[in-house]
Amino acid sequence: MHERLATAAMGTRFELVLEARDAAHARAAGEAALEEIERCDARWSVFRSDSLLSRVNREALEHDVALDGETFELLAACVHFQQATQGAFDIAVGARMREFRAGALSPATAQRGAFELDAARRSVRFTREGTSLDLGAIAKGEALERAAEVLREAGVERALLHGGTSSVLALGAPSDASGWRVRLAGFEADSSDVELCERALSVSAPHGRTLRVGDHELGHVLDPRSGAPLAPLARCAVFGPNARECEAWSTAALVLLARGLDPRELAPAHLELRACGAPNDSLRAHSAPTLHPRAHDALREPLCSTPR
Amino acid sequence: MSSSPDRRDFLLHTAGGLAASLFTPSLALARPTIRAGAPLKLGVVGVGRHGRAILGELATIPECAVTAVCDTDDSRLQSALRRAQGAKGFASIAELLDKAPDIEALVIATPTHQHREVALAALAAGKHLYLETPLAHTLEDLQALSEAARRSTRTVAAAFHGRANPVYSLARSFFRAGALRELATLRAQNHKKTSWRTAGSTPEREREANWQLEPAVSLGLIGELGAQQFDVFHWFLSKHPVSARARGDLRLHKDGREVPDTVACELTFEDGLVLDWSGTLANSYEGRFELFQGAMAAIKLAWTHGWMFKEGDAPTAGWEVYANRQQFHNDSGITLIADATKLAAQGKLQDGVGLPYTSLYYSLADFVKCAAEKAAPACSLSDAARTSAVAILAHQALRTRSEVAIDPKLLEAL
Repeated sequence: MHERLATAAMGTRFELVLEARDAAHARAAGEAALEEIERCDARWSVFRSDSLLSRVNREALEHDVALDGETFELLAACVHFQQATQGAFDIAVGARMREFRAGALSPATAQRGAFELDAARRSVRFTREGTSLDLGAIAKGEALERAAEVLREAGVERALLHGGTSSVLALGAPSDASGWRVRLAGFEADSSDVELCERALSVSAPHGRTLRVGDHELGHVLDPRSGAPLAPLARCAVFGPNARECEAWSTAALVLLARGLDPRELAPAHLELRACGAPNDSLRAHSAPTLHPRAHDALREPLCSTPR
Repeated sequence: MSSSPDRRDFLLHTAGGLAASLFTPSLALARPTIRAGAPLKLGVVGVGRHGRAILGELATIPECAVTAVCDTDDSRLQSALRRAQGAKGFASIAELLDKAPDIEALVIATPTHQHREVALAALAAGKHLYLETPLAHTLEDLQALSEAARRSTRTVAAAFHGRANPVYSLARSFFRAGALRELATLRAQNHKKTSWRTAGSTPEREREANWQLEPAVSLGLIGELGAQQFDVFHWFLSKHPVSARARGDLRLHKDGREVPDTVACELTFEDGLVLDWSGTLANSYEGRFELFQGAMAAIKLAWTHGWMFKEGDAPTAGWEVYANRQQFHNDSGITLIADATKLAAQGKLQDGVGLPYTSLYYSLADFVKCAAEKAAPACSLSDAARTSAVAILAHQALRTRSEVAIDPKLLEAL
């Protein structure tokens, strides 16, 4: 028996499809998972004045801001990803993202935001004026991981979770299939259909939201090093065991490709990266998908994963 | 290459691209200033969904440290321990009090019908106490809790959040100053589409976790949702209703439950003023709010935001020139922000500005501050007991489908 539930959070729609022993149990478990997503939204959204992240952005230049354990751990992971991706992934682009959302992007600058995390006090402090954090897609990945944990605690072993279809996490597989079917929008037909089982997927492309400046169309993914938006050309899909990690690397991969680098040289071996439309399309040759012929009942059409 | 960061002791630094100047919203509603010195050692008893939300807020209050969590369900306890790093876990309040004697304060978030036993044990052990609301499911339990709180020399606070909420305090100051003039109607609702069920790891655990759907112990929507809002009106008006009527039905969740999923309740005050409250688990439109309507203005409160809607013939105050407004269909609401004049002078009044912290945060921070300073909390146990009694009697009106009188002497005794 499949239940579908959805909620609006982090500026997008989160949806769950889950199998459980009965409908009431499935709905209750799903609602608890959605509440967890809403709790993540309440802490990490830049769109809410009462979120913990907004509090950090208002106050962290003046004093240390205490964090809950989950938020501290998420920020610590972001620092790790910033270092592992050679700065291609960076959450200290909040001010630039705010300009982008307002449709008033100022000329790119190399001025850098900076912050410190204090593990002993479990707090964050900005060390440079003008710093602002934007967790963006990694918050979606983390929310999916938290929601999946709630589902597991409730005894749910088979579920598909997604945030805005660009962030996807599969718990187990449907009982009548070997995986949850997902189609990658914009990827070529021979690599667009995949099945997920105990796996996460993140799809990124700069053209999800764009800003037109004169004759130029600018994508919403920025190169943190220069502050410049990427041209909306490439799209990347990253598969791996953890949704948060996939989100960081799908964003970073776009930036690295734009810099003319091969993201696979930096990414951990347990991640699978696919790209199309990149200046150097070599990644596609390494991304031959494994197609499974059977669909499952819950999603007669596969979930279409569209880049954010 | 490792994929997980080193989570041990470190000081992390990072830097990234940045270009724009930082918008700094109002700091006028910044977190309450609390004591310096060693953090208050806290325990949280009952770590279901709401208990975990409490843990999240407490973690951001540096003046306290959660050093113990307690729950009878081991799966919930383990989940909470993952969130409350460094805390010890206990399976009962007796074990916690026995093995963690250094705990100074306890936050009780167990099911309502278990409050009495846990709270009395905590008070007997000399702990500061923060008790979830409604305080109890019977008048007898309320009386026992009130008596114990009166005997205690510790800070005893209750979780009716409006009383510690800065937007609500500001709105109340307008209300008490007569900005609304003659009151015409009072209205509130809590609407959210949800099954109101909790999933358990086993069918037995699930039955236990769904005590809200057990008619023998649950005050239903009126008690578990409505009481929080009734208290706002009691606080603003400084009085309580004298009678209650209610009706309810199962409109959506026809899954064998008896507790109605849609309820309307009418609380009448001595002067004939009526508070209409509705709660439903079938639809989410307009969510949760409280509305006061008077001859000169209306005030609408929605926990992180508040607005005043003025009549055309209402006098205008100087600060209103600078106030920001939000449009609601045909009505323009002045956003209620503390220190509006000061913020206007600083150019910091912004569209859509709400509270920088959640309502739950303010309530918990007030408790921590008061426990540290041995001061009276924003919501005392006797205030909360009176509102809880109104909720119990309103729930009785729903069950009996008849009007129930609310004896002022009963409330005064609490």
